[in-house]
Amino acid sequence: MIGWLHPGFILIIGALLIPLFKGKWKQAYLIIPPLAALIDVILMYTGVFGEIPFSSWHLPFLGYDLVFGRVDKLSFLFALAFSLASVPVMIYSLHVKSSSEHMCQLVYAGSALGVVFAGDLITLYFFWEIMSVASMLVIWHGATEKAHSAGFRYIMWHIAGGIILLAGIVIYIASTGSITFDAIGWNSGSTYLAAMLIFLGFIINAGVPPLHAWLPDAYPESTVTGSVYLSIFTTKSAVYVLARGFTGFGPLMWLGAIMVIYPIFYAVLENNLRRVLSYSLINQVGFMLCGIGMGTALSLNGATSHAFAHIIYKSLLFMSVGSVLFRTGTAKITDLGGLYKTMPLTTIFCLVGAASISAFPLFSGFVTKAMVVQASAFGGLAIVYVLLQLASAGVFEHAGIKVPFFTFFGNDSGLRVKDPPLNMLFGMGIMAFLCIFIGLYPYPLYQLLPYPVDFDAYTAPHVIESLQLLLFASFAFFLLITSGIYPPEGRTISLDTDWPLRLAGGKFIWFVKGPLTSFSNWMDGNVKRIAADFSLLGEEKEERVFIGVSVMLALLFLAFYLIVELLYQWIFS
Amino acid sequence: MMKVDLLLAVLAILGIIGYVFLFLGTAEPRHRHGNLFLTIVAFSLIIMVMAGLFVQWPVEFAWQEVTAFYAIFGFSAFTFLIYAAKGLRLWLSKDEDYYKKKGV
Repeated sequence: MIGWLHPGFILIIGALLIPLFKGKWKQAYLIIPPLAALIDVILMYTGVFGEIPFSSWHLPFLGYDLVFGRVDKLSFLFALAFSLASVPVMIYSLHVKSSSEHMCQLVYAGSALGVVFAGDLITLYFFWEIMSVASMLVIWHGATEKAHSAGFRYIMWHIAGGIILLAGIVIYIASTGSITFDAIGWNSGSTYLAAMLIFLGFIINAGVPPLHAWLPDAYPESTVTGSVYLSIFTTKSAVYVLARGFTGFGPLMWLGAIMVIYPIFYAVLENNLRRVLSYSLINQVGFMLCGIGMGTALSLNGATSHAFAHIIYKSLLFMSVGSVLFRTGTAKITDLGGLYKTMPLTTIFCLVGAASISAFPLFSGFVTKAMVVQASAFGGLAIVYVLLQLASAGVFEHAGIKVPFFTFFGNDSGLRVKDPPLNMLFGMGIMAFLCIFIGLYPYPLYQLLPYPVDFDAYTAPHVIESLQLLLFASFAFFLLITSGIYPPEGRTISLDTDWPLRLAGGKFIWFVKGPLTSFSNWMDGNVKRIAADFSLLGEEKEERVFIGVSVMLALLFLAFYLIVELLYQWIFS
Repeated sequence: MMKVDLLLAVLAILGIIGYVFLFLGTAEPRHRHGNLFLTIVAFSLIIMVMAGLFVQWPVEFAWQEVTAFYAIFGFSAFTFLIYAAKGLRLWLSKDEDYYKKKGV
């Protein structure tokens, strides 16, 4: 047996070495860290480092035992998803010249693996914060004014979330004396407050409405490749920590149910494709949180497997939209359409991603989402079931129809651009293959899930139910679009829950720049004038003033002394 | 364990074909085989409803017994969603440089 190696560190150290390479060597080197991390994770499964579950990389710190490597079925599944996705995403971004962009992205991926393997709350917090900063830098690489300000807003959300999480962790450790990260006891009175704070910190990263506005605000502003990375790590590491800490927490199920519905309306309204996908991302995470909140073996299997499948197809969708952006310079529906003629491969990859997220039979989303929906049916949760099914129609509307249709079909925009470079196609090809592979043959994925799987997605009622729902939703789309009822896209944005914050923030900055600055200038002026008056005195009659003031002070002291003395006599005699 | 029944696989493939052909048939300017594509879509819709008649549906909820329930549900959910979004648009959609104009 050999010593366990942390795949997150492979990515982070690998990232720091990128500047040592130039040109072709750099391109060849770039693929090594993600590939090595993936091999490392696969080796974990083979038992080279010991039978799963095991823990490794313990570090004593202030009398506590930090655990960097807690490897069990849950952490392994997420680590596999993260490292498996990192390889095609890196291939997709090989053409990017900027070393710093690659570095930020790999550190971001590495820190997410750090979160996943963290066995205690302090290590978790450490990687959680690295992840926030690295992802902000990934956004800033968008290098536009919008990206810059969206990055600032993004980090404000995450700093707030991080502080809340830290407060929760500190109270938790103080009340339990333990730093181990496992189910957080929300039932016991002593840890209730800590649990709620930790929960709040987690759900900010998961993008639960109304605390989600940072996500559709910032993700579409990053670079073509940056958005793909962003779509993978932050929210899914939040899903992981919620699955670890809050399985069966009732309110989480309802938050998830709201979360699947809320963004679908926004996704219909949005003009920017990457923003549509960002809202769609929130909706998909809703399915996972709902499953975690239900807390049954089936629902938890559904939530975790859905996270796995989601990482693959969502990055595929971001990649295909990114390819369009890369070639045309825009990701706005109003500017696009008819690209299928000249971008056939990108169209096919996008359709594979769209079919997967819409849960078409034979594609990955079908075999995973079904478990969550089925769990709600088994639990007799009629409202949740209806909300999840309604959301399924909603997903199909925005990710299954809107994204591929208006980009690649729809009204011909006259743009005649080619498919993207080979490396981007190859990256998308791997993802598309995985979507279909998981859909056709989910058994290997089912084996990796936290609980034994006794579920078959391919039963006649389930297949026909999904096909009826999807195809008749398409039929509704057909009728609505040909009759002109389907709302045409406009060059608009949609106000979300950050609207009051942004306006209040704007007002605050206006207040600082306007009234507060004038007030401080006015005060400065007064102080300067008084100081100038004094200095005038000093310059003209320096000695006389000095003597005069001294005499006056001496007289004052004397008077003070006499008054005190007199009072003393009067009181005590 | 995961044996995909051949008939179901055929149905699923027909579903995918219906899905893609709807796009090809609806794109503007019209594809020269547009009508053929849409005919195949209509065929796939009919097949899905017919296939549903031969299936023993599990009844977790009473409504699952309604004929072609999921077809009706998918159609109406989609229509509801679009109308709801049309309504919300009046309220939520703003000009692209809304925040910029507000000085934010």
